Amino acid sequence: MNRQSIKVENLVKNFGKGDSLVEVINGASFEVNKGELVALIAPSGAGKTTLLMMIGCVEEPTSGTIWLGDEKVYENRWLTKETRKIRREKIGFIFQAHYLIPFLNILENVTLVPQTNGVSKKESEAFARELLDYFDIEDKAESMPSSLSGGQNQRAAIARALANKPQIILADEPTAALDLKRSVDVVKMLKKIALDQDVAIIMVTHDEAMLPLCDRILKIENKKVVSTEVPKKSHIL
Amino acid sequence: MINLAQKEIAHTFGKFIVTAMGVGMLLGIVLIMIGVYRGMLVDAQALLDDMDVDLWIVQENTLGPFAESSRIHEDMRDTIKVIDGIKESAGFTFQNLQLPSKSGAVRVFAVGYDPYGDINPINPKRLIAGRVLQRDHYEMVVTDKTAFQLNDKIPLGRDIYTVVGITHGTVSSGGDPLVYVSLKDAQELQFLYSNARTRNDRARGIASTNSHMINTVVARVRSGYDIDSVANDIRRFKHKAVFTATQEKTLLTKNLIKMASKQIGMFTVILVLVSTIIIALIIYTMTLEKMKEIAIMKLIGIPNSMIVKMIVQETLLMGVLAFISGNIFAHLIYTKFPKRVVLEAPDAFMLFIVVVLASILASFVGVKKVLSADPAEAIGG
Ligand SMILES: Nc1ncnc2c1ncn2[C@@H]1O[C@H](COP(=O)(O)OP(=O)(O)O)[C@@H](O)[C@H]1O
Ligand SMILES: [Mg+2]
Repeated sequence: MNRQSIKVENLVKNFGKGDSLVEVINGASFEVNKGELVALIAPSGAGKTTLLMMIGCVEEPTSGTIWLGDEKVYENRWLTKETRKIRREKIGFIFQAHYLIPFLNILENVTLVPQTNGVSKKESEAFARELLDYFDIEDKAESMPSSLSGGQNQRAAIARALANKPQIILADEPTAALDLKRSVDVVKMLKKIALDQDVAIIMVTHDEAMLPLCDRILKIENKKVVSTEVPKKSHIL
Repeated sequence: MINLAQKEIAHTFGKFIVTAMGVGMLLGIVLIMIGVYRGMLVDAQALLDDMDVDLWIVQENTLGPFAESSRIHEDMRDTIKVIDGIKESAGFTFQNLQLPSKSGAVRVFAVGYDPYGDINPINPKRLIAGRVLQRDHYEMVVTDKTAFQLNDKIPLGRDIYTVVGITHGTVSSGGDPLVYVSLKDAQELQFLYSNARTRNDRARGIASTNSHMINTVVARVRSGYDIDSVANDIRRFKHKAVFTATQEKTLLTKNLIKMASKQIGMFTVILVLVSTIIIALIIYTMTLEKMKEIAIMKLIGIPNSMIVKMIVQETLLMGVLAFISGNIFAHLIYTKFPKRVVLEAPDAFMLFIVVVLASILASFVGVKKVLSADPAEAIGG
């Protein structure tokens, strides 16, 4: 059984052309395994979001190869026309802001993607309620995002990312807007999800306190990606 | 499956409804414009229908008595009457008058007819108070729009007239309220000069003109006779222009109000265009406001078809709601207009089709915007 869930080889990403050409990633190769929570760190502007969006089939790389699970999705070009189908079936996205759809209530926000994937309303809602229960906001299922607190919305957004039972979760600074305690809660939750659901998670973070909770660290250095061990747990945890 | 349009509209319900009502008012005006045109058609025929005659005999080479002025001798009525196939005939005058009233002059269209003659132009169904003319002089039947009451005294020319009857819904082809006076009074008003003028003319050696003129003779044809061939006989032997009821109707509806209907047609087309542009603008701004959500939906993998469906459904609903409120608006105000406004279902249906097409057209601008949205933009900024 193949453990690797994300595999990137020789990935290159340039923005612009000619004189205004910006090299962001130049020859990144790495893997992330199922059940692994990996932190992605680098200075601001180093290309963390760009890398995540390429793996998430949102931003088109310049060249290289990307495997998601057993499927090679990119080799110097998208190998499918329906990158959006890959996104909604295989990937869960979490961001710094919750980005819930404001005109849908929490339950609808969480069930939108699975229902688009063809899961029945009943089944998707049952699973969504399980997730909301897990995140302690089951009583907010019928509420609109505007009536929830920031933390509640962020948990709802994580529930949404899980609702399609993704193989991969891409989290871009999910804890940046949260206080330390909530941040630790969220990252522990992600680790538990990675283990329980056998999901590969890449989490961009600026918060060094979160690193000991992760399994591994990917750093962007010299436009390439290097893998390092996590530091020892710090005293605050 | 979650219906995005429904959810989005529910979320911005008040704004959506108010916007639709605003567009609806524009569409209401379109309906009223068409109604004004229909009203003109009805008005043009009201007097003809009330008179219910087969033939209109007028001065040679004219399109009288409404489209052009026409003068013929009063005795033509008797000449016509003895023609084979004629059952009844009567002389009529038509003229515009300004009736003095407390609130200034009232412009009316006066029908002069012989109270003892064969043909009574007052449709008994329209007489809502009083009676028709019974004497040769100084009586008047007015339509309720003139605001005169029974027994009101109206000074006109050299004489004072008494209102003896009130009708409802009688108008001239131009939409002016009708009054009815006796043929003799009408002839004096139309053809008799003032004493001073008569004296003056005599001094110039001009014999005083007689007032025994009329504008038209109308006639009904005996059953069993062909109206067209009777008309032909009169044309040939009496040297008069003759129009059948259908021809006269065509003169009034097609020729007389052709310009007016073109005018209204232009207005209607422009208003429909403006409404389309406004719906398009509204949909465009509504889509712009949603760009962030649209980008997020694209990012998490929602297919274009679902997002486009949302925009198109919202636009169509906007159009349909605007159409409905436009109809309500039009029906609330159409009676307040001074001239007749006739709202007809087929016109509303036509407009409905146009609105649906316009909405689909308008939704294209929103859809184009949707397709251009970049999912990566969702998390930018
Ligand atoms: N659409 C774009 N066009 C041009 N340059 C871009 C675009 N998106 C990102 N970049 C550039 O790529 C670099 C990496 O950006 P980003 O991935 O957002 O960094 P990070 O998330 O690590 O802060 C930055 O220098 C940024 O200016
Ligand atoms: Mg970033």
